[in-house]
Order: sequence, then C-alpha cells, then structure tokens
Amino acid sequence: MLARAHTFTIEALQARPVAVEVDIRRGLPAFTIVGLADAAVREARDRVRSAIQNSGFEFPMRRITANLAPGDVPKVGPGLDLALACAVLAASEQLPGERLASHALFGELGLDGEVRPCHGTLAVAQAAHEEGLRALILAPARAREAALVEDLDVIVAGSLCGAVRVLAGGAGDPLPAPAPSRPGDTDEKRPDEPDLADVRGQRPALDALLLSAAGGHNLLLSGPPGTGKTMLAQRLPGILPPLTRAEATEVTRIHSITGRHHGEGLVERRPFRAPHHTITPAGLVGGARPGWIGEIVLAHRGVLFLDELSEFSRAALEALRQPLEDGHVAIVRARHSAVYPARFALVAATNPCPCGHLGDDHIPCRCRETDLARHRRRLSGPLLDRVDLVAHLQRPGRRELGEPPTYTSARARELVVAARQRQATRLEGAGVCVNADLDARLLRRHLALSPDGERLLHTVQDRRLLSARGLHRLLRVARTAADIEGSARTRERHLARALSLRIESTQADRRAA
Amino acid sequence: MSAGGIAHVEDQPALDPGPSGEDEPLACEACLRRAALLELLSPRLEYVGRDPDNLAALLDLADDELLEGVAGKAAARLRKRLDATDHSQPPPPGVQRICRHDQRYPAALLEGPGAPRMLHVAGGGVQRLGELLREPAVAVVGSRAPSDYGLEVAHALGRDLAATGVTVISGLADGIAAAAHEGALDAGGPTLTVMAGGVDVGRPASRRALHRRLLQTGCAIAELPCGNGPGGWYGAARGRIVAALARLVIVVEASDEPGELIHARIARGRGRLLGAVPGRVLSPLAAGPLSLLRDGAVLVRGAQDALDALYGVGERRAEATEGVEQRGRLQPRLRAVLDRVAAGEDTLGKLLAGGSGREALLVALAELELGGHLVRGDGGRYLPHG
Repeated sequence: MLARAHTFTIEALQARPVAVEVDIRRGLPAFTIVGLADAAVREARDRVRSAIQNSGFEFPMRRITANLAPGDVPKVGPGLDLALACAVLAASEQLPGERLASHALFGELGLDGEVRPCHGTLAVAQAAHEEGLRALILAPARAREAALVEDLDVIVAGSLCGAVRVLAGGAGDPLPAPAPSRPGDTDEKRPDEPDLADVRGQRPALDALLLSAAGGHNLLLSGPPGTGKTMLAQRLPGILPPLTRAEATEVTRIHSITGRHHGEGLVERRPFRAPHHTITPAGLVGGARPGWIGEIVLAHRGVLFLDELSEFSRAALEALRQPLEDGHVAIVRARHSAVYPARFALVAATNPCPCGHLGDDHIPCRCRETDLARHRRRLSGPLLDRVDLVAHLQRPGRRELGEPPTYTSARARELVVAARQRQATRLEGAGVCVNADLDARLLRRHLALSPDGERLLHTVQDRRLLSARGLHRLLRVARTAADIEGSARTRERHLARALSLRIESTQADRRAA
Repeated sequence: MSAGGIAHVEDQPALDPGPSGEDEPLACEACLRRAALLELLSPRLEYVGRDPDNLAALLDLADDELLEGVAGKAAARLRKRLDATDHSQPPPPGVQRICRHDQRYPAALLEGPGAPRMLHVAGGGVQRLGELLREPAVAVVGSRAPSDYGLEVAHALGRDLAATGVTVISGLADGIAAAAHEGALDAGGPTLTVMAGGVDVGRPASRRALHRRLLQTGCAIAELPCGNGPGGWYGAARGRIVAALARLVIVVEASDEPGELIHARIARGRGRLLGAVPGRVLSPLAAGPLSLLRDGAVLVRGAQDALDALYGVGERRAEATEGVEQRGRLQPRLRAVLDRVAAGEDTLGKLLAGGSGREALLVALAELELGGHLVRGDGGRYLPHG
C-alpha cells in the first residue's frame, strides 16, 4: 500500500517542500530510502524503526521503499523523521491517511518515540503556510517559534503517539507555556553587560559610535593598542535599537536555521558578530560547505565587528566588498548556489600602523616606511571606500581620565532609538530604513540642507576634497547627525561633525606619494 | 653589476637632453675607471663603508689599493673585469659626466677626505649645477621615519627657502629629504638632489614620481654610474657630498642613533654651519636636533632663521608665501582655533574635551580644513599647514 506525507528540508535559507512517499510490498524485509538523502536522513531508518516499535505500533516486516520527492533536491537533517514514521504507519494501515494531505510534519524522532525540535522551524512554518497546508505538527520546544506565522495551525506533538492521535482526528498537546525569558534574548540590556559609562574621554569615538548605531553607518576605530577600541565596540550592542517586527522575523529565520536561536519567540536583539581574524573568506561570507551560513549573514540587520582589521586575510576583506555595497551575498559553488541577505553595519578596529604607535604622543612608532605603506595598502581601497566614519582614538591624558562619563548606555540608546524613529518616519515607503542605505536620489530628497549647510557643502565641493562617493558618505552621516539632534534640516554643524569624522587622506598618504 | 639595468628600463624617466652647443664636460679615463670601480665594489662596501670616517679613508686610496683593501682575494678577478669594461660608452641621453679635472667641477667637492672624483649630472647638466651652487646652498636632512610634524616643517622649509631663491640640497631616500624637495618644487625654486644610486634610478619605488619631477625642474647628481640602485653604504658617502656642497645643514628630525645623525656628524667635521629644528622634548625624534642644539647648532624655526644664519641677521628676508599671508587675514574665531591646534591641542579629543561650544568648534575646524589651513596627520591629528 502507498502513503504520502508532507515535510520540509532546509536548503540555504529556504525550506523546500518534500513529499515522503512510502510503499510497502511483499518481499524480504527491507527499508530503503531513495531521493538524495544525506547521512542524517539515511540514519532515520533505524530511528524510525525503533520509535515505531517503542510507541506500541508494529513495524511492518515487509519490503518498505521510501521516496523523498522531488528527487533532485538534497535532503538534509533529521527533521524528516516524523513524516517518514507517519507515512510508514499510514502505508501499513495503522493510521488513517486523510489528514496527511493537509498536515505537514517536522521533527526528529528519539528511539522512544519522542519528537525533538529541529533547526529552521520558523522557515518551515512559513513554507508550510506558503504551500497552502492547513497545519504543522512539530515538537513542543519550537512550537512558539512556528506560531509566529499567522493563519497556520501549529499542533504540538510530544511523541509519535501524539502525532498519530492528531492525524487520526484527535487534538494535539497543549502549547507549552512561555518559558521565562533568558537574558540575551530580549532587547533589554543585560545587567552584566558593559556600559558606556565606563568610557572616559574619547569624545569623538563616542560620537562616531552613536552615529554608527543611529544611522547604520560603517565605522572604523583606529588607535594605538590599549586606547579602548575593543572596549567601545563591546558596548555597541547595548545601544543598538531593537529590531522591528519584519527585521526580527528575518533574523529569527536565519538564526533558527543555523541553530543559534535558543529563545522561543522572535529574536529581539540585533545580532553582533565578532569573528576572529583568522577566519577564511568562505567562513565570512558563506559557502564553506553546502548550507554553511557566513558570519556576514548572521550579522544581517546587526553589526559585524572585525577587531584587528589589518590582520584579516586580504581575500576575506575583499569578499566583503560586494555584500557591503549590495546588502546581500550571492554564493555560487559547483554543487550549490544561493543568495543570502547580508545588510549589516561594519565596525572595524585597527592599529594605525603595524607597531601600533603611529601618532602616539609618548611611544615612538618603530615602523619603517615600507611597513606603513603595506599596512595602508592592506586597508585602503576597497574596504575603506565603504567606511563612512573613522574615529581616531588617542591615549587619554590625565584630564580626560578625570572627567565624568559622557554617556551612559541607557542615554545613548534613547538617542539612537529616537534617531531611528525619525528616520523610519521620514523614509516610510522608500524601501530603506536607515540613512546609511540612502542612495543618491533619496539622499537629495531627504537631506533638507539649511542655507548655512548649503554654503559649507559648496566649499567642500569647490575644494575637491572628496570624491563623489565620499561626498555622499559625508552627507549621509550629516543627515544622521541631524536626526540624533532632532533637527529637521541638515545644518552646517552636522556637516562639520561628519567632516571631522571622515576618512581623510592624511600626511601619511602624501608621504607615500 | 647593473642588475637593475634591464628591469628598470621602463622606470627610467625621460631625461632632458643636456644643453647643446656647450663644451662637453671633461670626463677623463682615470676618473671613469674610478666610477666603474666603485660600481664593482658597491656590494662589498656595504659592510666596511657604513662608518663615515672609515669610508672617507677608503675612498682616498688609489684604485689598486682600494681594490686590494676591499675585495681581498677577489681582487684579481675584479681587476680583470674592470680592465675589460669599456669606459668610452656614452652616458644615457640627458646625463652628463664631469670629473675633477674639469674647471667647472664644483670646487667644494675637491676638498676634504674622500673627495669624489667624478659626478653624473642629470636635469639641466653641468651648467645648471654651476648655477645652483653659485650662492650658498642649504641642505635639509633628517630621520628616515619622520613624524608628520617633521614632514610639515621640512616641506615648509624647502618651500620658503626655494621661494627666496636659496638652493635646497637633499637626498631622496628619507622622508624629511623628500618633503623638503617637494616643498622646493611646489615653490618652483632651485633644488639639487644627491642620489644614492645612479641619477636615472628613482628608488625607492614610492619616490619614483618625485624623482621624475625633480629631473624635470631640478638637478640630480650621483657618484655611481647610471643604472645602479642605491646602496646601503651610500648614506655615509652621500653625507660627504651634501656636507661639501651646502653651507648650512639643517637637521629637522632625527633620533639620537648614529645613523640618523650621520649628515650632521660629517658636516660638523667639515666645519659647516649646523642648524636644527627643535621638537617636543618627549619625542624621541627630537632627541637628535635637541642634542645638536645643546652642542651649539643654530636654532631653526623656519626659513628666516636659516637665512639669518647664512647671511647675517636681517640681511635677507624670506619671501612670505601665500599661506602665511592668508593666515594673517583669518577671522579671529578661526585664528583662535588655529592657535590652539598649533599649541598642541591637535586632536579632536583634546579640542572637544572642554565641552562648551563644541558645535562652533567643529564648524571652525571644518572651515580651517577646507581653507587649507589645517591638514590631517598621523592618528587623525590636525596640523597647521601653509
């Protein structure tokens, strides 16, 4: 007899529908699975057999053939177990098969018949809804994540028996009560998280951090070792604005698929990824193996922090160019290809030179001119072209260390959230939500220069200090400065602030010329 | 020997053809042979030639003694190669050779220990060299790893001296020398470059553009034949030429390591005037100039100090360059910010630390930067410019 069940497999960031067809015929007892199954799916045979037997059903001692259609999509992961088991039961007439047509099944089976959660629940729920299925049966642990999809019946089954009960027309287990939220999942600042109030002095760097958080601008922190570059970056997650619902859905989907989402509902906090500088290009953008999600995709809608930027391999940095420009990354390999979203703010920290002391007041720089040139070449060009803000940190003097802190994280976050709100209101319907993503056309429309701002801009243009791209970057940052202040128009002082934090050609560049 | 000869053909800048119709300067067989010998011995001089006194003593030796002394066992083989060299090959177009037996050979180069026997001259030829050296010339030298302050000062010195018509002499390798040359070129004034290799080889590669520019409007001289890259030993050798040709040698920035102060040491040995630009007491790059000042060097704050030292106080005025005049016309609020920067509040952090008037300060900084009165240096520091 033949039975068919619906389930899903994850391909890149998509959940692809899979029909599990099971045919049971007379013959020597055997259980074969065909249809591009990976190791985890082939091992399902043993899990399914034990689960069926331990749940009080009979595992048919006949020839069982399971086909996973479509045949050209590779099936990965243990999420197909539940559908496979139910199809076997239906084919052996231990279960009425009607509901299998409208109910999707997704979950891994334990040998005792327990249904366990799998990665990518949200994507599967969304796909089930798109496929027009009425309900999704899955493990209790991830049910709240699937329940985020509206118009889809999410049915909880703690065990194979529970699933069989539902398919036979019964009710599912109750949705588990929401667990008390754990720190880190919610948007609130953790009590043990470092606070901006720990930072003394470094006023320009703080301003730059705020601008970056408020406008999504790429930021470079440059300074001698020990001046607080990493310290500042660690405090960035605490001042980032919360995710909007649409953004949170995208982020949850990605993090759920990679198994990094441990909460129950949506991810509320913006991602902050800080890979080590030994990372490979494939680790950074993805494609290390089929389905491997790169760091920049995990940083989608959040921040990618690259500490010791000049230590990253040239290839890895080059790989960042296109995603930084386009907001997505296309991974094409011989056996798989996919487009991933990757709209993130890049925050990088670097020493000003290989020894770290160039421009230091007290410690001499020991680098040779050629070392400096190499260091600059490594950073310059492709990457720095896409950095909107640069903050130079200096060793704080006695005076700065004695000053009261400039911002607390709470205050900074208020400013950032308010600035984001203003941007969102102004950019409603424009397809972008932060100033960093404004293109030349939108920039012209939303800049609203005041007369004194106009005058300063003319001077900038007359002096030919900046390229066209550099000018746009300047204007975007100026717009964010105005948004932080709550000014409807972009004024002279906002442009001046952007100018003071721009990537400039320094004496050092002229030295090499 | 001329290892770079073929590989660097493309690098060779288009050299001006020398002034035609002039008498071809004299380059006698013996002196040509001497230049070829130095070229042959260049790799061996790397080690023994780093000490200036040692080097001068070596270079005073006759050809054969020098060959025996430096080459040791290989002397016979090298002599054979030297004898096989055809010295009658003309130099590349635009390069003239002059030996000490020509009347037009700079007299200053005939004195002192280790005097060079012949020169290769490019960029205007021997006649231009004579013109450049008619009046007292000033050498600007300094550290190989200068700070942006040093570069800014060297640039201003080169510019203002050249604008006044004083020939600026320097090498090409270290940052200070390059900045001084650039300043002189910006002012369109006279410059003389003493090359560490052949006159036609612009190395290090980062200075190739500057080298090309120097050959177009300035003049370059070298002791080694064309096609040679700069030798490490040549720092000391060049020092003796610079010290011989300049009346005043100004050290802009140097740590107190012997290698950094080599020009000053040679110049002092020859009884030249020595000038030094002071820096911050804490800066290691100020250690060299400050120790020279303690030992009696002339304090140099700008071109006027150098002119006072050369011609007597107040005898000759430095040409006020455009930048200086403009600075006098600045609005008081901009002037005040510029003064704060010049007084050492040179980072955004220090400037903004006070707290009040931050917006006005940022606007003033932007205006000053856009007006060309401030530039950015290492670590995002603001530097007064012009």
